[in-house]
Amino acid sequence: MAGNNSVNISFTVNGENFNNVNVPSRQHLADYLRSQGFTGTHLGCEQGACGACTIEMDGKAVRSCLVLASQANGANLKTVEGFDDEMMEKVKQNFLKHNAFQCGFCSPGMLMTTKEILLNKKKLTRDEIRSEISGNYCRCTGYQSIVDAIEECINEIN
Amino acid sequence: MKAAHFSYHEALNLQDAIKIKAHDDESVILAGGQSLLPALNMRLSSPTCLIDISKISGLNEIKIDGQTLFIGALATHSDVMNNKTVKNNMPCMFDILKMVAHPAIRNKGTHGGSIAYGDPAAELPALAVATNAEIIVSGQNGDRSINAKDFYLGLFETTINQDEIVVGIKYPLLKKGQKIVFDEVCRRHGDYAMAGLIANVMGSKNDIKDLKLVFFATGDKPDVADKTARLCLENGYDYDKLKNSLSTEIDFAGDLNSSSEMKLHLATVLIKKVLSKLEI
Amino acid sequence: MDDIKVNQNPKLGSLDRPNSYIGRSLPRENAKKHLDGGGQFVDDLTLPRMVHVAFLRSPFAHAEIKSINTNDAKKSDGVVDVFTAKEIDEVCKPWIGTLGHLGEMRSPEQTPLAKKIARWQGEPVAVVIADSRAQAEDALELIEVDWAEKEAQVDMETALDSNAVVIHPELGNNLFWTRTVNQGDVEKAFKKADAVVEATLDFARHTGVTLESRGIVADWNKAENKMTIYHNGQAPHMMQHIIAKHLDLNEGLVRIVSRDVGGSFGIKVHVYPDEMAVTAISKKIGRPVKFIADRLESFTTDIHARCHKISGKLGVDKNGKILAMEIDDLSGIGPFSMYPRTSAIETNQVLNLSGAPYVIPNYKAVGTVVFQNKTPMCQYRAVGHPIAVAITEALIDKAAYKIDMDIDKIRKINFIPDNAYPNKCPSGVPLEDLSHEASMDKLLEIMDIKEIEAQNEEDFKKGVLTGHGVISMCEVTNPSPLFYGVGGAHISSQDGASIRLEGSGAIHLSSSITEQGQGTEAIMKQIAADQLGVKMESVRVTLGDTDATPYGGGTWASRGAGIGGEAVLKAARKLKDNILNIAAAIMQTDKDTLDIEDNNVIRKNGGEGITLQKLAETVYYRGHELPKGTNAELLATASFLIEGIPFVFTNSAMGCQVSIDQDTGIIKINKFWAVEDCGTQINPKLVEEQIRGGVIQGIGGALFEECVYDNQGNMQNATMADYLVPMAYEMPDIIVDHVTTNSGRSIIGAKGAGEAGTGGAPAVIMNAVNNALKQVNAEVVSQPITPEKILKALGKI
Ligand SMILES: Cc1cc2nc3c(=O)[nH]c(=O)nc-3n(C[C@H](O)[C@H](O)[C@H](O)COP(=O)(O)OP(=O)(O)OC[C@H]3O[C@@H](n4cnc5c(N)ncnc54)[C@H](O)[C@@H]3O)c2cc1C
Ligand code: FES
Ligand code: FES
Repeated sequence: MAGNNSVNISFTVNGENFNNVNVPSRQHLADYLRSQGFTGTHLGCEQGACGACTIEMDGKAVRSCLVLASQANGANLKTVEGFDDEMMEKVKQNFLKHNAFQCGFCSPGMLMTTKEILLNKKKLTRDEIRSEISGNYCRCTGYQSIVDAIEECINEIN
Repeated sequence: MKAAHFSYHEALNLQDAIKIKAHDDESVILAGGQSLLPALNMRLSSPTCLIDISKISGLNEIKIDGQTLFIGALATHSDVMNNKTVKNNMPCMFDILKMVAHPAIRNKGTHGGSIAYGDPAAELPALAVATNAEIIVSGQNGDRSINAKDFYLGLFETTINQDEIVVGIKYPLLKKGQKIVFDEVCRRHGDYAMAGLIANVMGSKNDIKDLKLVFFATGDKPDVADKTARLCLENGYDYDKLKNSLSTEIDFAGDLNSSSEMKLHLATVLIKKVLSKLEI
Repeated sequence: MDDIKVNQNPKLGSLDRPNSYIGRSLPRENAKKHLDGGGQFVDDLTLPRMVHVAFLRSPFAHAEIKSINTNDAKKSDGVVDVFTAKEIDEVCKPWIGTLGHLGEMRSPEQTPLAKKIARWQGEPVAVVIADSRAQAEDALELIEVDWAEKEAQVDMETALDSNAVVIHPELGNNLFWTRTVNQGDVEKAFKKADAVVEATLDFARHTGVTLESRGIVADWNKAENKMTIYHNGQAPHMMQHIIAKHLDLNEGLVRIVSRDVGGSFGIKVHVYPDEMAVTAISKKIGRPVKFIADRLESFTTDIHARCHKISGKLGVDKNGKILAMEIDDLSGIGPFSMYPRTSAIETNQVLNLSGAPYVIPNYKAVGTVVFQNKTPMCQYRAVGHPIAVAITEALIDKAAYKIDMDIDKIRKINFIPDNAYPNKCPSGVPLEDLSHEASMDKLLEIMDIKEIEAQNEEDFKKGVLTGHGVISMCEVTNPSPLFYGVGGAHISSQDGASIRLEGSGAIHLSSSITEQGQGTEAIMKQIAADQLGVKMESVRVTLGDTDATPYGGGTWASRGAGIGGEAVLKAARKLKDNILNIAAAIMQTDKDTLDIEDNNVIRKNGGEGITLQKLAETVYYRGHELPKGTNAELLATASFLIEGIPFVFTNSAMGCQVSIDQDTGIIKINKFWAVEDCGTQINPKLVEEQIRGGVIQGIGGALFEECVYDNQGNMQNATMADYLVPMAYEMPDIIVDHVTTNSGRSIIGAKGAGEAGTGGAPAVIMNAVNNALKQVNAEVVSQPITPEKILKALGKI
């Protein structure tokens, strides 16, 4: 049998260096991040189906429940706590304006999905927005306010 | 739930991965992890060791290789969707992958993983069978190329050996007048389908010269319906006749969202839907 | 969202004065923390020496536990201990989920862990306590249970058969509760009717699927004899009482903290065996203990909802006037009635609410609630409403079709007229301040029925089945003590607010209402700032902590704004009165010449005022400057309770248009409209979002959600991949409008708005689907309406 029950890896989270840290082999990235205080990353299903744990890994949205912490070696990670650039502040303002969240549990994942939509710089219809966020579950809002907020973001950016 | 213990090995290169896999029966390849991690998190699978191949360089290459479009095993669904060579040579790929899960999952899930996993409800295995693709695997004794129709044996079961790893898929380039058309019916966008169909068509709507039908989410592996395709070619679309033919040709297996009768009906209807997408 | 210009509630004053916040769609600034990842959910909490638990749960729906061997599990890495019922029962007393006010209920004692028999798949049987959840799960695999599987009573329809498996032999049969309502003489009336229609509808079980699962951290502090519970619940004071009672603790020394809660919808207002076990474990081992349900546990142990089969009959005369209605409802609640609210309330509401918008002189309703070996069923958003509304509205559509009358017309001629309140439901439950006529008129105006009908016809020509529906309904909100308290449950129907002006000039407000995302904190702030005359930013709010807030019921049954909001209004008015008295003393003037605006006491006739900060400084730091005898209290408290009526009802009207793909059976919701009358809207945007979220939840039940069981009682789809919650792509935009009829029970005039969407959507979707199917003489009678059911109805499979 090769390997061990834990591995030493290095990566960054929101620009903060994690050098040579020891992570259990079996731990998924969401659990690891949460154990380090990045509790904005939420868990809703641990099987990829709800989107609550979606974070940015090397510039792309990923489900952090479906990535092992050990796979993050060398990666640059960004969690909701690090969504503080100008674009994301705008996004947050629009989410607030449209009340695009109630309990807020889905918001970190929704924001990441929104971020990727905006980075793709495509003008999307409401139906297309709905398609893009169709992997992110929200029990509270019924989605319309989220679509409103994203639509406004897209309009502002284009 | 949290995964049971396993060890993690980041493979440095293909040979490294093959070596470990050959020596540990209970080790598994980790590619995108989008099918494997859900199973691990729910303790449905408890391998001894995960061999992470996702960092092996070169395995995500997409290129024209002779008369084929080669897609490297590690190319993610997103990579493939955004690739120009794919777009130019296999335009159906975008539409198909758009129905596979959701963006964040497509950013990680790999082409090779989907092919190797052999989920009967997955789109890509059916595409591979429908297009007569070759699946290239690498093992201790070197490479071999397996025709997709021979690759899938049953439910999540393939001809791949314990020491072998899928390195890429070769899709024959489309000939003039040849088209791949696809449709599926799902309860919710991005879900696995209740039934889906990939049709490989030669000709146009009013003049179909050849037709291959491969269904997914209908049985225990991609379901080829040659007899039904022939019937359709000869008689045109006749719901009752085609349904009857499909019922003898495919062993429909019901699941939570659709019974076997439902799948049979949808499969029949999908033929109509797919043919209606052809240009006149 | 536009501001409404005139506040329609004269008791609250106009909207064009400074600090007039009631009635405005203001963003929830307080909630922005969620967008920065700063929410404080239970699972975000880590305490020193905290341990984690994992439960061994019954893999069978019904089985005898012959023996449990935990020896190997105890030796597993990181394990602190492993307990079974024996150890937990030493610290936690059993409970019984019955109440005294609704006739005889029979449910046996329930303990945190199953003792000799497990009665549903998922019932906790043993618990591992370990340093991490993963280690606890490792050890679960080492527990050996000698199970003897028993036959399970799965189907509610055979639960009362003579050969049924009796789940609790001491009860003799599987009957939990039954009730009959009989008003007038239905038999006689049906004989007189020109048309009688019948329907039998099925409602599958579904469940809450809050994105944040249930969670608890229990922290027993032996030195202080104090139990602190961090819990994502809805009713902290109820939990305080229950934990004290069953763990034999001093109730005053039990503190419940419910910070941010990731959705609740009624799921998190019940007492769960696993959560009680966690509390007991902390008491036993003296360490903080965390339990966060994983998704599998959520599906098999969060309460399920619905699970009804209801038959109904409606008689009308040739003019469409309803003469009589009769219903017979059967519901299955799993093996236990939930504690402390009981699992009778859902059926009780079905009997109370069926036919509620209409004048129905003769009404008979029978409800039967039975045990079965499935996950316990209990109150979930819009308790009983979907069933009551769906059966009523299905029957009315059928009657309209039968006598060839428009579906809106038949409703209009049967509504209890808007000017005829106070009035009563057909069941006899009192109603007041409702507006079915005005709401339906508004709905028809925004829907444009003619245009819709034309489109339906046009689609039909193209082979697409398109249809529409409209419904009217009542929603139970703001319950009085007659709901639970009268039956013996320690659930407060009163809520309190406490408000103070601090030395800095800041206002602090605390309320016994809790927040799960509805916007409780925001509307409390709006009410307080509005009534006091201060800027919203200067109000800080504390909720969800029994040590820090007034006593009260919490958030459930859409009671936050109407009850909790009124308490805040009263407290704010009291504080304002105190402030003006003090200001009058300081400023040596008559109190009536003063007012508060923008955090300043002003002279209404002009002249220099005084800031609240200065006033507070005088009171707190230089009290000697005040005239002798000045009552200088800058703290005011108030509470509120609905009296004299069981509930304050809200009403709504909904409409939708759907199209059905005849090949695939897939239903597309083209448009959805909702008109809500919830009285004063403190924040119209938040009201609309309650409606929208509620409607989508209702659509979930109508089209997608179902806990699928096999005939052995095993849930087949207990994952988020297999249980279909509504996702964005399939959901429609919802047009929301309002009619405003204030509740006369309070100054604020607000009623609840949280549940109508969920209560009404299943009915209107089903009616629209059946309107579409009628064109080909087909019909569906069972929810969720899956593509397969549609295809079966169409005779395609
Ligand atoms: C919520 C959700 C929805 C989804 N919906 C769909 C859908 O609609 N349609 C669909 O097709 N898929 C769907 N998927 C699955 C997704 O497409 C996966 O990415 C894909 O099936 C597997 O690819 P992977 O790279 O993630 O494989 P992994 O999860 O890494 O591996 C899967 C299996 O294949 C083996 N394997 C992987 N790569 C290789 C290789 N190169 N050689 C040999 N063996 C290998 C692994 O050992 C493992 O057993 C969904 C996934 C999720 C989480
Ligand atoms: S927790 Fe990762 S997708 Fe649900
Ligand atoms: S806001 Fe609660 S889940 Fe989206």
